[in-house]
Amino acid sequence: MKRILNLTVTASLVIAFGVIAKAQSGGNVLIKNATVMTAAKGTLENTDILVTNGKIAKIGKNIAAPANAKVIDATGKYVSPGIIDAHSHSMLDAINEGSLAVTSMVRTRDVIDPKDVAIYRALAGGVTSALLLHGSANPIGGQSTTVKFKWGRPADEFPIEGAPPGIKFALGENVKRSNFTPQAGQTPRYPRTRMGTMEVLRDAFRRAKDYKQSLDDFKAGKTKVPPRRDLELEPLVEVLEGKRLVHCHGYRSDEHLNLMLLADEFGFRIATLQHALEAYKIAPEVAKRGTGASIFADSWSYKLEAYDSIPYNGYILWKNGVLVSINSDSDERMRRLNLDAAKMEKYGGVPEEEALKMITLNPAKQLGIDKRTGSIEQGKDGDILIWNVHPFSPYSHVEMTLIEGDVYFDRAKDIANREVLAKEREALEKLDMNKAPGAGGTPPRIPAERRIADRDEADRGDNR
Amino acid sequence: MKLKLFLYAFAAMSLFGALANGQSLAITNARIVTVSGSVIEKGTVVVRDGLILTIGADAKTPADAQVIDATGLTVYPGFIDALSSAGLQARTTTPAPGGQGGGQQAAQQAAAQAAPSNSNYGFGIRPEVSAVDDLRGGDTQFDAIRNAGFTSAVTVGRTGIFNGRSAIINLAGDSVSAMLIKEPYAEHISFTTVAGYPGSLLGTFSALRQMLLDARRLEDWQKAYAANPKGMKRPDDDKSLEALIPLLNREMPVVFNANTENEIVRALDLAKEFNLKAIIAGGQEAGKVAERLKSQNVPVLLSLNFPKRTAAANPEADPENLSTLRFRAEVPKTAARLSQAGVKFAFQSGGLTAMNDFFVNAGKSVENGLTKDAAIRAMTLSSAEILDVSDRLGSIETGKIANLTIVKNDVFATDRFVPYTVVDGKLFEQKEPVRAPVGGRGPGGQRGGGANPGAAAPAAAMPAVANVAGTYNITIDVPGQVVSGTLVLTQQGDVINGTMTTQLGVTQIRNGRAFPDGFAFAAAVEFGGATIDIAVKATVTGNILNGTIDSPQGAVPITGTKLP
Repeated sequence: MKRILNLTVTASLVIAFGVIAKAQSGGNVLIKNATVMTAAKGTLENTDILVTNGKIAKIGKNIAAPANAKVIDATGKYVSPGIIDAHSHSMLDAINEGSLAVTSMVRTRDVIDPKDVAIYRALAGGVTSALLLHGSANPIGGQSTTVKFKWGRPADEFPIEGAPPGIKFALGENVKRSNFTPQAGQTPRYPRTRMGTMEVLRDAFRRAKDYKQSLDDFKAGKTKVPPRRDLELEPLVEVLEGKRLVHCHGYRSDEHLNLMLLADEFGFRIATLQHALEAYKIAPEVAKRGTGASIFADSWSYKLEAYDSIPYNGYILWKNGVLVSINSDSDERMRRLNLDAAKMEKYGGVPEEEALKMITLNPAKQLGIDKRTGSIEQGKDGDILIWNVHPFSPYSHVEMTLIEGDVYFDRAKDIANREVLAKEREALEKLDMNKAPGAGGTPPRIPAERRIADRDEADRGDNR
Repeated sequence: MKLKLFLYAFAAMSLFGALANGQSLAITNARIVTVSGSVIEKGTVVVRDGLILTIGADAKTPADAQVIDATGLTVYPGFIDALSSAGLQARTTTPAPGGQGGGQQAAQQAAAQAAPSNSNYGFGIRPEVSAVDDLRGGDTQFDAIRNAGFTSAVTVGRTGIFNGRSAIINLAGDSVSAMLIKEPYAEHISFTTVAGYPGSLLGTFSALRQMLLDARRLEDWQKAYAANPKGMKRPDDDKSLEALIPLLNREMPVVFNANTENEIVRALDLAKEFNLKAIIAGGQEAGKVAERLKSQNVPVLLSLNFPKRTAAANPEADPENLSTLRFRAEVPKTAARLSQAGVKFAFQSGGLTAMNDFFVNAGKSVENGLTKDAAIRAMTLSSAEILDVSDRLGSIETGKIANLTIVKNDVFATDRFVPYTVVDGKLFEQKEPVRAPVGGRGPGGQRGGGANPGAAAPAAAMPAVANVAGTYNITIDVPGQVVSGTLVLTQQGDVINGTMTTQLGVTQIRNGRAFPDGFAFAAAVEFGGATIDIAVKATVTGNILNGTIDSPQGAVPITGTKLP
């Protein structure tokens, strides 16, 4: 019973808080006397950060507070850049368009839900930006969206202006539909093998080239009827032209290598290998192409095609000069990416700042948003976390999360607000429309403990 | 000359009317709410040849008129249900074989094979589908909705992404053509999925976008070809794409079924992208985006099917989300918010099965800040304005279609009763049932009004109901998947109870009724984390069950066999 009561309170507080935290864009704030982990230029003791109109204006000691700035005393506290999750399916009302092998026409931007409570929970764990990816049901999935978690703001304020567009590719078990039995009367979707997957990719890029040719022919007056604008091939033309980043899900390194060879053939670069749990086997090949790796800190051997993954994957990749980031692919794990970064220090000994970069500056570079965010440097966005202790400590928690100088999570306010929300819930539950029916009624919802938190294998037949 | 002809015709029609008996009707001593003008506390409305002839405190009663003494009653313009599926038979589902090939082309080929005639699109993505093709003539099919007080409605199917083209109809008429007021009225779109592509909400938006782009190109191509066909490949005429051209040219409104804030925002975004003449239907969170609706000049067909908790109490269950609790509590305030923000809106039934709830919930909107006048307007003149038929419907004015609703007691009160409705000048009467001492059925129930004015209502000989009790193996044909399960029914007279068991869980049935040829019931199922109210209606022939399940997401067929 107590457990249920706790659940009630926690659930309600996180759902409601955003309404109270009224954010404006471009805040003015002075953070005083913190230990600042810049993720670029080392750690600075007893340092102040001034954010003006959302941008970091000054980093130094004893900065005087401008009249309009909110002053936060961070004495004894740690400050880091906001965490960036380079693989997320949060705030998406649908993750997979798995009906076809190529669904480059679909856009995650069309289905973002700015009220997904996972956003608020992510803010409480220090995540300020994320790459919202299509699922891994097909070789070429949909277009991604790079967002800042501006909880409480309307949907159109989430996508980061100027972030390069992206697209999800996928290889391996999910694409082959190895773990999915077709429903009665359904033909299994092609491809069913890894070689079929490569064929689908090659075919798609050949079609994209033909499409580009047909557009050029029309422009040159060689044809009379304007070609059909093809939303499936348009983004692939952008990939060929280097205007759209490819983020490719895969576990086995032979497949990832094959993909990079295909990209060589068509003359483009893969932006990131996603998951890449055994990419240590091909680390020099990855580094040579300037391709990034976005990995899990653990999940070693969690399924067959992840069998060869090892704890030292991240370290070996980093040692070989690969741009490494650590992602969550999960609403739940997203909340403690700081501890995943700490694991890089433990297994192999990645230096502290390099480990911190793996959840901040490196993903920012992989997503092409490092001019704006990812480290605490003058001129960048004020995407800043204040921690109670060192973020790699298991006792750490985020005290405050700022995006562009505006506070989007404040632990103290959150705690104070729980009682208010509990009261609101109590009042709402008394209303007629919220009362359980006297008799009968539908079965209740499944308790949270039994729900699936990990959305990696998101195509479980539902859209959530 | 024209005037003379008109007068002549008028005289002839009047004569014919008189001869045809009952074509002239006077409602006297009534309180008249004209909506367009001021209320007449005691007056007469005269109706002739299907049109309103005169209104006023001292309007003369023609000698040949049938007279209804409406002392103590209020006459309103006939109420309009701004979105319904009135009169529609469930469309048979023929899902296209899923697009499982190597590319979109394969899926389109599959769709092309499935689609008859010159459409290259599959079931659920065919905008040319028209509600009018599924209508039938006849008055009695509308008895229940008319007895609740409605005289006209927008009607359209609710399956697929393109629900198809709607019709505005009068809720009486011997033939379909006699019922029609405007057809086609609008294209209706739901953000749902179909078998094959698009199989997710992601694909839904991409498919809509591609089809609209293709339609624009087809129009351009057709024009170019018409101007000079020589040396040009002829356009690939596709009637599904052709049906989208009037949308792109703002000649036909697009009604988006969008209930939540997210859905409404997505609809508004799409409307902006393609410059569509958009209307939001459902709109229960429209109050949260009122400013944007106002600035984009998009009206709302606001659903009065208010949400309520259906899940049983269970100490082991998760508590409901605070956002869900808030949503339900906020819905009754939406109408007032739209009204304050200056957003045009009209009420619609939103799939309500008990039409009396329409007025109860309109009353709740009034309790939450909407003025009574605005509430009445939202089911009369505002509806007619949004539907672009305010020149013929929506108020009591000379020359408008004679659709009237005559109400006893306050229209929002629970003892509201509708003794008379007038549709196209034809009078329908409903006798007030004698209330059973306990648990009697409310007014406006199943009892049909006599189509024969003045004649005593036929003795309601209750026809023998079918014996539907038993256990059925059922199959529900949800697009993209087939759900099977068991239906167990028990029966007492015409009341049925029981449970429906599917992979979605066990559902207790509600409001079950047996009819001479089958049964109907309501239920609520949990699906995808949401509670969905469904209405099941089926016929039973021998041991074969055949019917439809209607939900806000659309109608799907249900079939089954009774176990021996």
